[in-house]
Parts: sequence; C-alpha cells; structure tokens
Amino acid sequence: MADTKIKILFIIICILQLFYLWQYRSSFNFEILTSSFKENAGITKAVSPEIIETNEILIKNNLKEFNLSKGFRNSHYLYQRTLEFNYPIRMNDLSEYSLFLKEEQIPSACNILESGKYLKLVKC
Amino acid sequence: MNHYFNEKISLIMSLLIINNYLLLSLNLPQIITKINFLVFLLFVLIFYSKNFSENIFLKISFLFIIFISLGVVTDGWDARSIWLFHAKRIFYENTIFSIADNYASFSHNAYPTLAPAFAASLGKLVGHWNEIFPKIAFSFIFLPVLIFSTSLFKNSHYLIFLSIIFFTIGNYLFNGWADGLLAAYFCLSVLMMYLIIISDDSHYKNNIYNFIGFCFFITLTLIKNEGLALLSIIFLVTFLMLIYKSQLSKKIYSLIILSLSFLPIFLWKYYCFLNGIGNEFINQDIFTNLFPRIFSLSNYADITYFLYINEKFLIPLIFFLISFKIKWNRELFIFVSSIFLLYSIILYFIFLSTPHDFAWQLNTSAARIIKSFNFLLAFFGLYNLFGLKLKN
Repeated sequence: MADTKIKILFIIICILQLFYLWQYRSSFNFEILTSSFKENAGITKAVSPEIIETNEILIKNNLKEFNLSKGFRNSHYLYQRTLEFNYPIRMNDLSEYSLFLKEEQIPSACNILESGKYLKLVKC
Repeated sequence: MNHYFNEKISLIMSLLIINNYLLLSLNLPQIITKINFLVFLLFVLIFYSKNFSENIFLKISFLFIIFISLGVVTDGWDARSIWLFHAKRIFYENTIFSIADNYASFSHNAYPTLAPAFAASLGKLVGHWNEIFPKIAFSFIFLPVLIFSTSLFKNSHYLIFLSIIFFTIGNYLFNGWADGLLAAYFCLSVLMMYLIIISDDSHYKNNIYNFIGFCFFITLTLIKNEGLALLSIIFLVTFLMLIYKSQLSKKIYSLIILSLSFLPIFLWKYYCFLNGIGNEFINQDIFTNLFPRIFSLSNYADITYFLYINEKFLIPLIFFLISFKIKWNRELFIFVSSIFLLYSIILYFIFLSTPHDFAWQLNTSAARIIKSFNFLLAFFGLYNLFGLKLKN
C-alpha cells in the first residue's frame, strides 16, 4: 500500500517536472517540431538575420571560402555564428572575398559584388 | 524476462556509442556508421517493445524528452559553438580528426568528440544537417545510464531516481549541451567502481558489470575534458581505499584492466598535442593566472557562493546527509565524499587559474559544472536508502 502511494506521488511529481521543463525550461515550438527533420529547418529561430544572409550570399556566389571584416571579427556573436553556420564554407584570411556589415566602410581597392539587407560581399 | 536483460541492453547501447566513435576514427565508408546507428535504434526498439509495461514511465518520459528536443532549435552558446559545431564538422568530413587544422579555435577543438560523433552519424542517417534533430543524439547517449539504473531500484524507487534526474540534470537532457551527460556518466562510473572493486557484494563480480563499468569509464572520459579529471579521481580514491582495506594486492589486477579505459582519451589528447591543439585552461600561463588570485579570500568566497549556495546543490546535499544518517554505510560515504572533496579542490584550482575574467567564468560555468555534484549526492542518497543489493 505504501509502495503504491509512493509510486503515485512520484508519478505526479515526475509529470509536473516534465511539464515544467517543457513549458519553462525550453523554447519549445510546435512549428519547429513539425519541421524538425527538414533541411534548413529552424534557422530563423537559431541565428540572427545577418547570419542567415551571410549564408545566402555565399551560396548564391558559389564561394567555398570567405574573409570577414573587422565589424564581424569584433563581435563574438557574428564571428562565431558566421563560421559555424556557414560550415563547410570556410573562413580564410587570404580569401579575396570578404563580408562587410552594411554600415562599414570598404577599402578603396575593393569592389562591391553584392549588397544585401544587412551586409555586403566585396572582392579585394 | 531474460536474466540481466536491462544490463545487457545498456551494455550493447554503450558499446555501440563507443563503436560509432571508433568507426569515425578509422575513416571507414559512411554506410558502416549508418548501420551502427541503425543497430543502436534497433536496440532502443527492443528495449521499448520487450515487456512494454516494465519501466513504462522511463519509456514515456524518454519519448517526451525527445519530443521536447525536436521542438527546440539548438541555440545555447556551447551547444552551437562547441558540441553541435564539432558534430557538423564530423558530419561533413566523416572523421573525428577533422579538427586537426584547428579551424575556428573558439570551438575548443581539443575537447573529446564522443557525443558530437554520435550526432554526426544521426545526421548521416537522415541525409542532411539542420539546427534541430542532431541534438537528440545527445539525449540517446543518456539511455545506457537510464536503462542500467532500472536494475538498481525497484519500480517505485526508480520513479524517485527519475525525479532526481529531472531536478538535477533538467533541460540538459535535451538542449545539446554535454554537462548533463557528464553528470550522469560520472555518477554511474562512481557506482560501478564501488560495486566492482570496493564493495564485497559477490553479485557484482559478474563479468557483465565489469564490461558495463569499463564502457561507462570510456564514455565519461570522452564526453568532456572534465571526464578525464573525474575518472582519475575515481581511480585515485579507489586505490587509496584498497590500501586502507589491505585489499590492493587482491584487486590490483582488476583495477589495471579497468584503467585501460583511459586509453582512448590519452590517444585523443596525444593526437591533439601532435597537431598543436591545446587546452586553454592548462598551459604555461596557469600559474600567472593563479598567483594574483590565490591569496584573496574573497575569491574563495565567490567560488563557494557560485558553486554551493543554491537550492540545486543544497537539497541533494541535505538529502545525502539525511540518507546516511538514517542508514549508515561508512565505506560508501567515505568513497563518495572523498571523490566530492577531491573534485572540489580541482574546481577551486581551475576557477582560480582561469585565463578568462574570474567573475565571468564563475557566472557562465559554475551552474553547469555543479550538476555533477548535485546528481552524485542525490543519487547516492537514494542508492544508500533503496539500492537493490542483489538481483531480484
């Protein structure tokens, strides 16, 4: 009898804990769940629009390597997310193709290849 | 029900997780890692289908954990920049040695890659990469521990065990971070070492427990760098206790065999060393960082506050102490407490010598690191009171 009572008590506690984890300790979203195995699913929730745009521009221009401006490098978030999100397209300090933030000045020797909403791709 | 069914399932799953890591270190065709993962899923299915009503709450809870994980994107800093990024690299390069170029060094390329390798293989099986599903592989790695634990407690007490898991490990069951895995494997490794070597219970001298212990030790060291420190402490305390009990000569052979579990992590660290990939915490600057902080008492107070003054630690600690007050087991108490104290000393040392800002380091990592202690204390509090001594 005592064993059954313990069982019922802890089933209730476990259910409450799971409910708490689901509702308050996760950013659960049904839309994400239904697309969880689709390619490119969840990217708008995972990274900022700037990072998504880096990927769109790099793929559109068929680049395998890229360089990053000071604006990107000075922000931990932009730098790390750009590198990991775009992999297997890799950053290379020697690449002539660089990503700049929209508001950044580009060196006079560089040409703008493409300008997006948040950034621009330049060839130097 | 087969004899040792849960132990066997746990052992096979554990072997398949380690085997996946091994296969990805041998540069074999992708089909082999896919088959390995499929076999793992087959054993998950066998566990679920064989006598479904047994451990039903574990089965339903685990499905719910997977359900939550699939409804959440990978957005935690470590989860993205370290664990799932390593997984993505292994997914594209088909080898755990993809880190040799030290690309994106912020991702700590020297960290071991057992969990990322498993996530990469899930990606191979699905056929592409995204921001959601690969992290459920991290949740799958909990299964050997969760399934093995069913043999330690009877049904109602197993529910208390699950409640402890949810309380201490919580969202680390599904968020793609490795700290929850570390806590789970650390705790079960302590238990396995106690059962196999320290305790005099002849039931646990069966080879299956030796194999499970061996696999858990390997897994512990290959989850995170801390795993190597934790397993070293477990071995050191065991060694000292055997000397104290005058049983060293009797059990040294078993201890030496089990110590072979260090081999994979040593090989990994040697590979990193050969490629000049270092650990930011252990380098020539360690004493330069340590000395200015070591004489300030406020630093010790800060570490103590961040690690120990919170309900997630204090509740397990109180439960642990009450448990041993109710039922005194001197050997187990000394074993667990010694491991706790030794690892505490290492944590103070690591925090005092961090190359990062001291306050930032404490703020960002103390709550994760302490999970291993929280789970250890709560688990052994429960095991001391209700752990099954002999197989039913």
